[in-house]
Amino acid sequence: MSRNITLSIFRYNPNIPGDTPRMQDYKLEEYSGMTLFVALNEIREKQDPTLMFDFVCRAAICGSCAMLINGRPGLACKTLTKNLPSRFTLMPLPVFKLIGDLSVDTGTWFRNLQVRTESWIHTNKKFDPNALEVRMSNETAEAIYEPERCIECGCCVATCITANIREDFIGATGINRVSRFLIDPRDERTDREYFEVVGNEDGAFGCVGLMACDDYCPMEVPLQKQLALVRRKMAAAGLKLDLKGMKIS
Amino acid sequence: MELAKNLQKTLNQKANPKTDLYVDLAESVTGIILVGFLWMHMLFVGTIYINNGVLFNSLSEGLDKYYLAQIGIPATVLVILIHIFMAGRRAPMRLRDLRIAWRLTKSLKHTDTWIWVGQVITALIIGIMASMHLWEIMTTWPIEATKSAHRVALDGIAFMGGFSIKYYLWFYVALLLAGEYHAGFGLYRIFVKWGWFERHKMGYVLKGITLIILFIGFGALYMFIRLAEMVPLGGALH
Repeated sequence: MSRNITLSIFRYNPNIPGDTPRMQDYKLEEYSGMTLFVALNEIREKQDPTLMFDFVCRAAICGSCAMLINGRPGLACKTLTKNLPSRFTLMPLPVFKLIGDLSVDTGTWFRNLQVRTESWIHTNKKFDPNALEVRMSNETAEAIYEPERCIECGCCVATCITANIREDFIGATGINRVSRFLIDPRDERTDREYFEVVGNEDGAFGCVGLMACDDYCPMEVPLQKQLALVRRKMAAAGLKLDLKGMKIS
Repeated sequence: MELAKNLQKTLNQKANPKTDLYVDLAESVTGIILVGFLWMHMLFVGTIYINNGVLFNSLSEGLDKYYLAQIGIPATVLVILIHIFMAGRRAPMRLRDLRIAWRLTKSLKHTDTWIWVGQVITALIIGIMASMHLWEIMTTWPIEATKSAHRVALDGIAFMGGFSIKYYLWFYVALLLAGEYHAGFGLYRIFVKWGWFERHKMGYVLKGITLIILFIGFGALYMFIRLAEMVPLGGALH
């Protein structure tokens, strides 16, 4: 059974001088199995070629199509229109820089996060291409795999009040990222080095615990577990560390 | 490291890199202490159920005799003050932040976020009403069952047509609801942040405890009103 749906979409292109933010309605006939990704493409093809939104993979892997769907963050490609009312709103994710309409720049934000959290394996071991790969227990590998499933769509950041009002807060995705390296035995960073990165208000201790990130993560990454893990580890590290004369540069 | 982006931040970090940790710990620890205090307080009030307030009175005498009141009350006030500063820093205070938080909360329709809005509001209510409550108790010290009973049963000034409200009763109803809401969900929030328990199960357990405490509290108010009818102010309990 098909029904007519109305998409009320946020329109604003900051690059057009004099353009003002507004909501614009688009009517569409829904068919079975229609995702928001399909609906938006149909609108752009048949009704309005100026409509801006992002997508790449259409399979919940790339994280480009995150937006506020009827007020809640989600991936357009993973959302079936039949689960939405006949009239709903689409807004771009907050926090991130608006490119235009539903398109936001998550790249710059995440790039900054990579640098701040030093998201790479820190090791002094020399890489030997001929040696066998170092073994890792199945348990550890699975523990790393969970936070690693994050696709950096930005939903957790957009839905977090703290991230919305404090631009320095690294958000659930950032703390989750650090948790991945904390678990990884190949990363040789000391407690002190980790504490420098997330043992503060911009990191682990900035979280208020509203858990919208945990509830709305499209990949269902166990964010509460990872946030709490980092908080506990950092508290334990901070309480036993002697940080006198610690250099923060 | 980009954390220290400007002079102020660099200086803040250098002052003591562990301050953020201590502040965060202080918020959780004072919160747990205050929830413990409140639940204990309600259990003590609940003793009014037993032998018409004789146990209630002897507990009150015990508070004085063992210096629990003399030390406990200032200590609790101090913990409350620390908690206000530690937890208050989380709340959006600037108009800009308030607008962002409000708009997002309405948009998300997310239960836990709404509950947090309630936490902020009940915090303000408790801040005012607990001060009044403390003042009232301190100026009429010591605590006695008949005194409390007649306070709760006291009628307010009659308005036009003889309509009056028991303002102390409604005061306690409001303070009880705000206090238990804030304590129950506050403790839930602490557990969520530190991740000691599965959060949904934890939520049910804490809601259950909160309902029990509310039941004790409302029941105690009813017992006070009954006691006021039975015993005149200053009358002997038996």
